[in-house]
Amino acid sequence: MAIMNSLRKLPRKLLRWETMLVALLVLMCLIFNRQDTARQLAGLSKRDAFNLASVVKGLRPYMLYSFMTLGMMLILAIGDIDISTGAAAALSVAVLGSTYQALCKAGVPAWLALTLSVVICLIAGGLCGAANGLLVTRFNELFPMIITLATQLFYRGIGYLILGGGTMTFKNDATFDLFKKLYNTVEIGGVSVPVMLIYFLLLAVIYYVWIHLTASGRKIFALGTNARATYFSGVQTNRIKLSLFTLCGLMSAVTGIFFVGATSSSIRADSMMGYEMYAIAAAVLGGFSTSGGKGSVIGVVLSLIIFGVMKIGLGTLYGFADSMVNLSVGVILILTTLLPNLIGDAGSLMRLCRRRMQSHVSSRAMQSGSIAPNGK
Amino acid sequence: MQVTLSDKKQRVPFYVILIQHREIALVAVLALLLIGVSIRVPGYLGSNYLNILKGGSINMVMAAGMLMVLLIGSIDISVASTLAFAGAVSGMLMRDGYVTSIAGMFAVGIGIGAAIGAINGLLMSWGRVLPIIVTLGMSYMTRAMIPMSWLLGLNKIARINLTDSFKVFMLDTTFISIPLLVWIAVIVTVLVGVFLRFTRVGRNIYAVGSNESAALIRGVHSQGVKVMAHTICGATAGLGGIMWLGYYNAVEKTTASGDEMYVIAACVLGGVAVSGGYGKILGVAIGAVMIAVINNAIPQLNIGNSMITEFVKGILLLFSILLNVALRRIANRRELLRRSI
Repeated sequence: MAIMNSLRKLPRKLLRWETMLVALLVLMCLIFNRQDTARQLAGLSKRDAFNLASVVKGLRPYMLYSFMTLGMMLILAIGDIDISTGAAAALSVAVLGSTYQALCKAGVPAWLALTLSVVICLIAGGLCGAANGLLVTRFNELFPMIITLATQLFYRGIGYLILGGGTMTFKNDATFDLFKKLYNTVEIGGVSVPVMLIYFLLLAVIYYVWIHLTASGRKIFALGTNARATYFSGVQTNRIKLSLFTLCGLMSAVTGIFFVGATSSSIRADSMMGYEMYAIAAAVLGGFSTSGGKGSVIGVVLSLIIFGVMKIGLGTLYGFADSMVNLSVGVILILTTLLPNLIGDAGSLMRLCRRRMQSHVSSRAMQSGSIAPNGK
Repeated sequence: MQVTLSDKKQRVPFYVILIQHREIALVAVLALLLIGVSIRVPGYLGSNYLNILKGGSINMVMAAGMLMVLLIGSIDISVASTLAFAGAVSGMLMRDGYVTSIAGMFAVGIGIGAAIGAINGLLMSWGRVLPIIVTLGMSYMTRAMIPMSWLLGLNKIARINLTDSFKVFMLDTTFISIPLLVWIAVIVTVLVGVFLRFTRVGRNIYAVGSNESAALIRGVHSQGVKVMAHTICGATAGLGGIMWLGYYNAVEKTTASGDEMYVIAACVLGGVAVSGGYGKILGVAIGAVMIAVINNAIPQLNIGNSMITEFVKGILLLFSILLNVALRRIANRRELLRRSI
């Protein structure tokens, strides 16, 4: 009986968004694998370029905005949007660099300076997020998009004020080069796994437990589905919003720290431009909608992996440049929201047609007198 | 807020005037900026005001289109990449000798922009995809299509690829000693203003933005209005592409990236409500001029480093939207008090 029950639920489970993403990932891997074998047979490449080890290693550059995506997805889940995360990340990195420089000049030991500056960097990111959150909750007539547009310019401007147009580098500074270790890989079972990926998966597990399995996490989705109803059922909606925006700013700062590692410790005020858009794209592909109330961490992890695999496959196997990847990102972004709508439309149209047919049949039957009309 | 006849006997409070004519506050801030610049760098404005207006003309044209989109409660963040795409395509057509006339260039640019805008509008209205997602995807797609080998295969449109007559026409034509780019911006502004104020379709845009279901019941074809607003926005972005070609004589794939934020900022500074249904072209024009002044004149002040413009823009935008909300709240509270509720 239990088996029958679960079998009956199977179609609905198959229609879940995560299943679609897995299917997409598998399909992509099959196509890329085929192309890889074809290239080997044609003698274009000597060894297979598309296998688990190379893909996992190649994911490294595409993991940078994954942390930002974790912050952004919760903002999307409550139906808001935050386009200032890229600027907040740049600002916190600028704070990190200048704090470290100042502390080192003041004669503080390097390791202490590093720890302090990382802490201050995280605080700066959190403050950026908290400022967004305060503005969004205090001025709820305004759209979060507009508030964060203004704060985006503002944060970027502060970053420019701190750093100017130039680049801040720390050459031959052994302590600051510790950041580069964040961009390293570690060997696990013969596969060199990026350190960033491990951190990201750990964080993703924490996020999963929090937003899917605890009451405070479910409140986020309740808030996104119907803010009024949630407020009237006794949830402090403003406090949740504020803390989520703060968390988003914090995750931007984390992204910034990893970014410092990736760019070998050079810090610029105009770095990480457009990261917020990547984060939004990844979150939307992962099943979060900008109107709020839905989505899952598993979907986001899958969508980030899909973006990475797509970039690796299209780049190395087909020789397409970055622009082809961006084109596919755009197409996927629109299709992921357009297709469900169209399918829904088609479904309701079919139901309507079926009802029309049925009513047609019954009216014909009534006319011929084989069925007596109701009540007469 | 409506001032009725009985109210007119009383003195209309200052904040009400400020709310009804948001342009007053804007002009005041603009005047302060200009005075500051004039004191600090005497004679700068007198010799440079045309350059300031020229630099802001592209932003103004796109902001006029963005106003339409914001009025229907939508948003378009693909305008900058539409600009780059339209500029790249028309520049390539000129390079390869398909289009040589200046009118042809304008037609191609505006046509491409309008087509992209129409796709945005169709996806947004009939596909029911959220506008920010549609235009975000579209901005990825259009910008990616520029360097594609099977489509445009473009690295860069340079000065050498454009015909001399085009370059001369775009940069050196003046009418009453005002350059062509500024005239284009003025004409687009006036056209949009007249369209929004005096035509039935223009009023329908406000109707759809204020209350879509009410407009639908009144017999306004709301989906069509939305598509039209997006199409006009795309067309202005395409026109912006041609203007960019004329002003900078160069277009590549990263051209104008991030400029959509300044276009939206000009609208928001001008008091356009992003929820739709409220906004005037005059405010948008002042907002665009303000951004142009900041871009051009603030570096002359020698405060801080050369990148202070971003900071000033951000703080001004933040201040302006918050002031708007604060004024409206005060007005609402006073109104409630007056009616003793």
